[in-house]
Amino acid sequence: MTTQARDNLTAYAFLAPFLVIFAVFLAYPVFYSIFLAVHEPPADSFDVFSNLRFVGLANFARLLQDTRFWWSVLMTLYYAALIVPSGIAASLALALLLNNRLRAVKAYRSAFFMPYVLDMLVVGIVWTLIYSPHVGIVVRILKAAGVTAFAERGFLGTPGTAMPAVVLANVLKGAGFGMILYLSAIQNIPASLYEAAAIDGASGWQRFRRITLPLLRPITLFMVVVGTISALNAFVDVYAMTSGGPNVDVGGRALGVTWVTGYYVFDTFYTQWRLGYAAAMSYVLLALAIVISLANRRFLRSEA
Amino acid sequence: MDHRTQARIRKVVLYAALTAAAVVVLFPFFWMVVTAFKEPGKEFTPDVIPNPPTLENFRRVLTDYGFGGYFVNSVIVATVAATFATLFAALAGYVFAKKRFFMKEKLFAFLLGSLMIPGLMYVVPQFAVVHRLGWMNTYQAMIVPHLANVFGLFLMRQYMTTIPSELLEAARMDGAGEWQQFRKVMVPLSVPILATLFLLTFQFHWNNFLWQLIVVNVERLYTVPVGLALFKSAHEELYTLKMAGSCISVIPIAALFFFAQRYFIEGMTMGALKG
Repeated sequence: MTTQARDNLTAYAFLAPFLVIFAVFLAYPVFYSIFLAVHEPPADSFDVFSNLRFVGLANFARLLQDTRFWWSVLMTLYYAALIVPSGIAASLALALLLNNRLRAVKAYRSAFFMPYVLDMLVVGIVWTLIYSPHVGIVVRILKAAGVTAFAERGFLGTPGTAMPAVVLANVLKGAGFGMILYLSAIQNIPASLYEAAAIDGASGWQRFRRITLPLLRPITLFMVVVGTISALNAFVDVYAMTSGGPNVDVGGRALGVTWVTGYYVFDTFYTQWRLGYAAAMSYVLLALAIVISLANRRFLRSEA
Repeated sequence: MDHRTQARIRKVVLYAALTAAAVVVLFPFFWMVVTAFKEPGKEFTPDVIPNPPTLENFRRVLTDYGFGGYFVNSVIVATVAATFATLFAALAGYVFAKKRFFMKEKLFAFLLGSLMIPGLMYVVPQFAVVHRLGWMNTYQAMIVPHLANVFGLFLMRQYMTTIPSELLEAARMDGAGEWQQFRKVMVPLSVPILATLFLLTFQFHWNNFLWQLIVVNVERLYTVPVGLALFKSAHEELYTLKMAGSCISVIPIAALFFFAQRYFIEGMTMGALKG
């Protein structure tokens, strides 16, 4: 055996466990879901995999006419439009606060980051207690202050506040991650830039606006891309707090104001066992993700 | 106002702002713990200190509602999964860092490319694969599909690239085989990154709620998040018990974070900062 052949053999022997799992559980499923998307299980069968029926593009055709699906895309975009900017603002605010020479800065940094590693499901469940109309602390405080608008249904049960309430819970949990990114970028900005600006008479706000913000742009763009992609995946927070509700009447149909696409996929798959339809839906999600990545890459390039 | 006073005021304001932010961010967890120690049915009290505090909620969720068993399952799943995910990523990261082989660059780009695909894409077909394999309601269904951690592979490769190849060369001169070079040279020098990846994958599997919910539907195999989600749907109003269950779910990770926060913070942000 040549040295080269032996090297290849050794390398692939080391890679084997990783590649086998990757092939079976990550690569193959992506293609398998194409197969699923053009099939439907028989309506009356409990075993969802026996007698899969080929239905061609029927799932996609139905998807195009499915109001609940397009509504879910709309709610996903609404979710993203709330969570991306507020997540960025919260992360940046925390980073700016930490970017000071204070003794306890490390302890605060840990405190802000910790919720990021904890389980979203638990965080969501805790917020259902905090937001609850009957036993929730926020509603009780508001009641004491004379605000009774939420006394009946709470924040999660009121259509206008349900999505912002879900997003707030998520932002407070996740801000620590962006905070670290911003903090390390801020600390990489040379002090000489600020000194020069100060000599030129720039105020603190001007220095932030003209030096800090532009130099943090790469991080901000990264946060936009990653934040949007993860918004497309939003599920656990909605599952824990609202289950897609509360419903509002849209042209005679009851549609949930937190009915994001991730939740619809889960509902289609896990509650109704329509695997093909769920797979078709997730392809539309993938398409959205690709469009967003490409748009951002383009944007990034034109910026540079 | 002189400079000293100004600096002092600035400091006080900063500390006040930091403390206010910390209170807001940590309040849910504080309220979770407080409520978990309140007597059942007293969750509506605004008391910050439960009066009287009780362990009854914990006793009941652990014994009457099976969280003791769920906890054991979570420990098994997270520990086994983290061990193998770390091992596989280390083996693969090692060859990407130190070996030359057929299709190396293309393969690496292909693997990294998979990170772009939204996780939700995988859920349905992965479930189908597990179902086909006859793995429903098993530990391996919860563990095996997530053992190829591409982000972990990336972390490993980044770290191992910085370890001098001369050390491997020297070991080979001393007669070490391929496996021994990995085991006796690479692994001991990579302990920090191995620890980081172990902690990150442990955390991932501990919180991997959606997947565990899908592949397991017998109570014997429930993990803490699955048990908690089903408990939540079944007993919407039992808040003190829910909060005790939440504490059981969160405390192990919070404790790990407390002792190893550097690994968590660096590991989780490394990909974003270098990539």
